[in-house]
Amino acid sequence: MSTETTTTQPSASRAPFVSAGSGLSFIGLLRSESIKLWSLRSTYWSFALVVVASLGIAVLMAFAMSSGMTGGVAGAGVENAQMFVLVSTAGLSLGQLIVAVLGVLSISGEYSSGMIKSTLTAVPNRLPALWAKVIVLFGFTFVVGLFSVIGAFLVAIPILGAKDLTANLFDVDVMLPLLGNALFLALIAVFAIGIGTIVRSSAGGIATVLGVILLLPTVVGLFSLLVEWVADIVPFLFTVAGSEMITPTTMESWQAFLVVLVWVAVSLGAAALLLKRRDA
Amino acid sequence: MIQAESLTKHYGSKTAVDAVDFTVQPGKVTGFLGPNGAGKSTTMRMIVGLDRPNVGSVIVNGKPYHEHKAPLREVGVLLDAKAVHTGRSAYNHLRAMAATHNIPTSRVHEVINLTGLESVARKRVGGFSLGMGQRLGIAAALLGDPATLILDEPVNGLDPEGVQWVRKLTKQLAAEGRTVLLSSHLMSEMALTADHIIVLGRGRVIADASVADIIASAAQDAVRVRTPHAAALATLLAQADVTITNVEQDVLEISGLTVSEIGERAAAAQISLHELSAVSASLEDAYMKLTQNEVEYRTGDASAHTEAEAAR
Repeated sequence: MSTETTTTQPSASRAPFVSAGSGLSFIGLLRSESIKLWSLRSTYWSFALVVVASLGIAVLMAFAMSSGMTGGVAGAGVENAQMFVLVSTAGLSLGQLIVAVLGVLSISGEYSSGMIKSTLTAVPNRLPALWAKVIVLFGFTFVVGLFSVIGAFLVAIPILGAKDLTANLFDVDVMLPLLGNALFLALIAVFAIGIGTIVRSSAGGIATVLGVILLLPTVVGLFSLLVEWVADIVPFLFTVAGSEMITPTTMESWQAFLVVLVWVAVSLGAAALLLKRRDA
Repeated sequence: MIQAESLTKHYGSKTAVDAVDFTVQPGKVTGFLGPNGAGKSTTMRMIVGLDRPNVGSVIVNGKPYHEHKAPLREVGVLLDAKAVHTGRSAYNHLRAMAATHNIPTSRVHEVINLTGLESVARKRVGGFSLGMGQRLGIAAALLGDPATLILDEPVNGLDPEGVQWVRKLTKQLAAEGRTVLLSSHLMSEMALTADHIIVLGRGRVIADASVADIIASAAQDAVRVRTPHAAALATLLAQADVTITNVEQDVLEISGLTVSEIGERAAAAQISLHELSAVSASLEDAYMKLTQNEVEYRTGDASAHTEAEAAR
């Protein structure tokens, strides 16, 4: 009983109800999710805060560092690069929390407002809508993160430059860690989307994600004082692996990156499974 | 066209929709009627794949909803007015919905004009009145110019002008050959709008017929009598095929006897009547009667009826 056969009666002037050519497409979903993201004020606030926190803390740290040293103390180029990376990415730890909240809200807000019903009737297979949301938020968060750390690097240059400290942005020892930080920031947002989809509530989702980022390292750290082997799992914590992937200490960068990906994959995998299975 | 086959949905131990079969035909407005908790909304949610049926299936325009290449162009749905993010403007909501199907922005403006939302389209939905929210929901449903429309309580919260507008709109959409399914708890509204009615009660289809047929089959005409001697009159008229209900203290509603029969007998017994008038059955009466029966058999004589249903 296709539409074409049932709609022969209406007035001749009428076009067929279901016109060819414009259907559901993944590009369309990406556009839809971008519109959704950028039509909420909270997005602007969150991203602005990420940038402001990065630049602000970079300025503070750069001044604090430069006031504590006399000229000419600086060591070799690699050490300078490390210092600049430290200054440029210090504010991102606050940015990580903001982006985590944004990631949870991007999906839990749909559940709390009822928007999810609109989303899922437009995309009845459901998963493409989740993937589109993930790609869009990942992309924009990465860009904002990169903008933040590069901006922070650039404001630190003149301040530390006054003490004859300098570094080249395009030096591998600078650029790679900055890219890594932006990447981890974007992956936190993706991880948070997964948690938000699983929990379907803003409060619960934010509590869970912040728990993983803030609380888990502390709690596991405390336990490791009591039980020796617990110390071995510390590097496998989400945020610890995130920093290991940029400045490796106990494992290789790529290993830490894999650990981060596993966290994200587990969160997204469970989210996809539940999204597909549960009634909306 | 919507076709449901033994559609069943349980929530825990509660059965919200119980082996429901029905077909919603194109070219007319079909009304979904039933008391709260009858399963109307759940059924509508299953049609568009938001809820998965435990048993049975429902197809719309020839396929399960999720198999359509362009679902929004096949089916427009208003489930409740709150299916919108409150922080977003009406315009951006519609734009985001349209983008999924590559529906041009010109169509977004079209549905905004059609639903009379021009003046508030750029405002955040959180500040909308219930009526504005309904209009936005209808705008979203119309976005894809769909062959089938499913509207859950579309007139809920609308002002009289809006109610009339929805009535005209649904009739017009049906006249164009579309399938229109709407639910309402306003029986009078349904009588004016719908051509065909499916009555649900406790998750089952109680009636599935044209409006006229439902009124004719379920409700009898009654006679309204006002008398200070209500009790005496009730005793006088009591007989097997007559039902007498005491509507108010002095008012009886009697079915099974004509106006003249009651008048003559009252006169013979010297009972004074202050009012004697025929009450013609309305869809509302028919509906109350249908659903009341449903409730009665459910609580009292469940096993017997379940067997009858199973045999059917």
